[in-house]
Amino acid sequence: MFDDVVITGIGLVTPLGYDPAVIVHQIEQGKVIAEEPAFDTSNFDCPYYARVADFDSEKYFPENKTLRLMNRDSQMAVVAAHLALKDASITVGQTYQPQQIALYGATGVAGLALEEVTRLIKYSTGEDGALDLERFGDVTLKRVRPVLSFKLLANMPICFVSIFENIQGENAVYTPWEGHGVQAIVAGIRAIRRGRTPCALVGGCDVKTHMFSFINMQQLGLFDSWRRHGQGSVPAEGAGFLILEGEREAVNRGAKIYARFCDYKIESLNKQANIYDIYSSIYSSLEKKDVDFVTAASDGEAEIVEAENKLFTQYGMESATFQHPKRYLGNLYAAAAVVQVGLTAESMHRHNYQLGLTNCFGAGCEQGSFVLEKV
Amino acid sequence: MMRVVITGLGIVSPIGNDCESFWSQVTAGKSGIGLISLFDASHFPVKIGGEVKGFSLEKVKQYYPAAHHVRDRKVFLGLAAAWEAIQDAGLATSELQNAVLEVGVGLEEFCLGDLTPYADTLGHPQAAVMSVATDHSNLLQTPLDSTARVLGDHYGFSGGRYVNCSACAAGAQVIGEAWRLLQEGETAIVLAGAADSMLNPLGLGGFSILRVLSDENDQPQRACRPFDATRKGTVLGEGAAFLVMETLERARARGAHIYAEILGYGSSLDAYRVSDPDPNGEGAIRSMALALRSAGLQAGDIDCVNAHGTGTPKNDEVETRAIKEVLGQRAYEIPIHAVKSMTGHMIAASGSVEAAAAVLTLSTGIIPPTINLENPNDQCDLDYVSEGARGFNGNTVLSNSFGFGGQNASLIFGRYDS
Repeated sequence: MFDDVVITGIGLVTPLGYDPAVIVHQIEQGKVIAEEPAFDTSNFDCPYYARVADFDSEKYFPENKTLRLMNRDSQMAVVAAHLALKDASITVGQTYQPQQIALYGATGVAGLALEEVTRLIKYSTGEDGALDLERFGDVTLKRVRPVLSFKLLANMPICFVSIFENIQGENAVYTPWEGHGVQAIVAGIRAIRRGRTPCALVGGCDVKTHMFSFINMQQLGLFDSWRRHGQGSVPAEGAGFLILEGEREAVNRGAKIYARFCDYKIESLNKQANIYDIYSSIYSSLEKKDVDFVTAASDGEAEIVEAENKLFTQYGMESATFQHPKRYLGNLYAAAAVVQVGLTAESMHRHNYQLGLTNCFGAGCEQGSFVLEKV
Repeated sequence: MMRVVITGLGIVSPIGNDCESFWSQVTAGKSGIGLISLFDASHFPVKIGGEVKGFSLEKVKQYYPAAHHVRDRKVFLGLAAAWEAIQDAGLATSELQNAVLEVGVGLEEFCLGDLTPYADTLGHPQAAVMSVATDHSNLLQTPLDSTARVLGDHYGFSGGRYVNCSACAAGAQVIGEAWRLLQEGETAIVLAGAADSMLNPLGLGGFSILRVLSDENDQPQRACRPFDATRKGTVLGEGAAFLVMETLERARARGAHIYAEILGYGSSLDAYRVSDPDPNGEGAIRSMALALRSAGLQAGDIDCVNAHGTGTPKNDEVETRAIKEVLGQRAYEIPIHAVKSMTGHMIAASGSVEAAAAVLTLSTGIIPPTINLENPNDQCDLDYVSEGARGFNGNTVLSNSFGFGGQNASLIFGRYDS
């Protein structure tokens, strides 16, 4: 009971690469990966996205049959989970039995690519221009592949991880924003602390680089900052997974330990609430504030930048070293929390920081922060 | 560890839009399955479903003005069930300010009809959809956190708003996760439940081509036949249920009516295939075994099973085998029933509606029947309560939910004796 929880593996698929050390180095070098989308963005307020340009699905999934079932977010999730297990030197079935590994993940909105959506209506439009359900039933349903439904279910990326890696432990899938990635991490921490499992694979994935996602985000107002201030979040794609273990188990098996979770806080943002007040409430309840390293949440969203900077000043964190991953690799939404925490852990491991704060503030209601300490 | 009790229930289902009518219909063995009327399904291979009937979206909007812009039907089903549960528990809005919310949801609904005006330019999809993007009032796709967002804005729930999308296991997982939070003292009150509707062209069409649905369109009320030898598949339904869950200490302190106690929860993954359950039922076995272990109970302590019981050939056989494996001889001695025979499969909502049914079984002493089971068979050879509702004086009910993708969840509820 109440075992300390440590990070022993990091697996990332991001626009800045796959290797956490390389990603951190590129962020330190100020490498920005945003590019103009391949599609016409003239009606979108956001003019950029951040892709994982070299992600070759056929390399990772040579069996075409399997690949047909998987959206890009599922593919990235499976690769990131595999990298995390490898990084932690965990062989499922040897290091831990499949039932001993919990799996908590977060997935994003809209896994379908636009081409798949438009295929659905291609043969289903009546003479009046409206959706013709007669044609949809008679023609379209005979032409679309049965696997379509699996691409619509938001739990699928995490299920694919369980299947590819033979993970069979306790589980849940949360959706659709960064805060739900925080929930996935917290669920893993709790499972270990309460002694229900010695190891948890926690992560998230999201693909915001196809036009369907751009439509969604434009409609949801997530590009408003671009319209108002000429800057904002750059939608990205990727996935991240962390291996969490009880510290005793990790030490006993001689695992590489990146950092230990020493505190976290998650709060919900009400419609009428002031962002700064919520962030302040989160900070005030954290016990350890003398951090020497901070992974900030802010990318380009003006409100978040302002509120977060105010907090750093208020809590005397100006002397800490800061990194702003989202400014360089874009916003990974449902995957952002895990990637942020992973990059904090990598930076602490690499530079010997003692206490690292990770902010996971962004779209959606849930906002959270984690504090990691050097082991 | 805290003891956790249920003090409020809210249900919207194909057989009743509140708790009382649901329970009277489900114990009377009434089917809620019929020809689909929400849209023209006459040219779909499957034309039947379990629709929620006589449901007023406008009434829900009166309770929750923040929902006026929402188009996704399942959000309204969820809001209505949540409202009933909170009223039933006698909670003031202020009591939920710092509470936790656990919401289970299923498939994202998006409006195909919004894209059709541009279908003639599909060769150039970039141009085709631009106009949609500028329309903020009609979301092409409703985010899955919409129910949680509206409930949060209305009541607070600043203790955390979990949005669980674990497919058919989501409705049970949210209750199990809520139980853990309460048991471990993380919070004193949780509103937990799920809502789903796949009765739209994409949901029904997509699942019908998967061939998991019964296409017996000429006999809708008999189409869902869990554990029957002639079963041909499940029937999609829609609905929602929410449970107010509190620590026993808090419930007692405020003099709340206590329906039942939640005793255990287990979850597992098949790690087999996204499309099929593990034929050996190992994931299902583990989730039930973990629920028993967490409750500190033995197989002999289980008095009734509220089965996942979808009516698909694979599920019912695998579930029966798994129940026998976990409960041993006890599996042959206790009643096992399937609510889906009347409601259809409400996907994410099923686990919550069936959990509510388990709670009502304990509090009213009635086990609902499994209807349409007329042809027993060797693979499904347990007591499925096929003859009609039955009296119950047992102390525990185990409720199973197994999801697409291989996620499994099992809950154990206990009779509360003051």
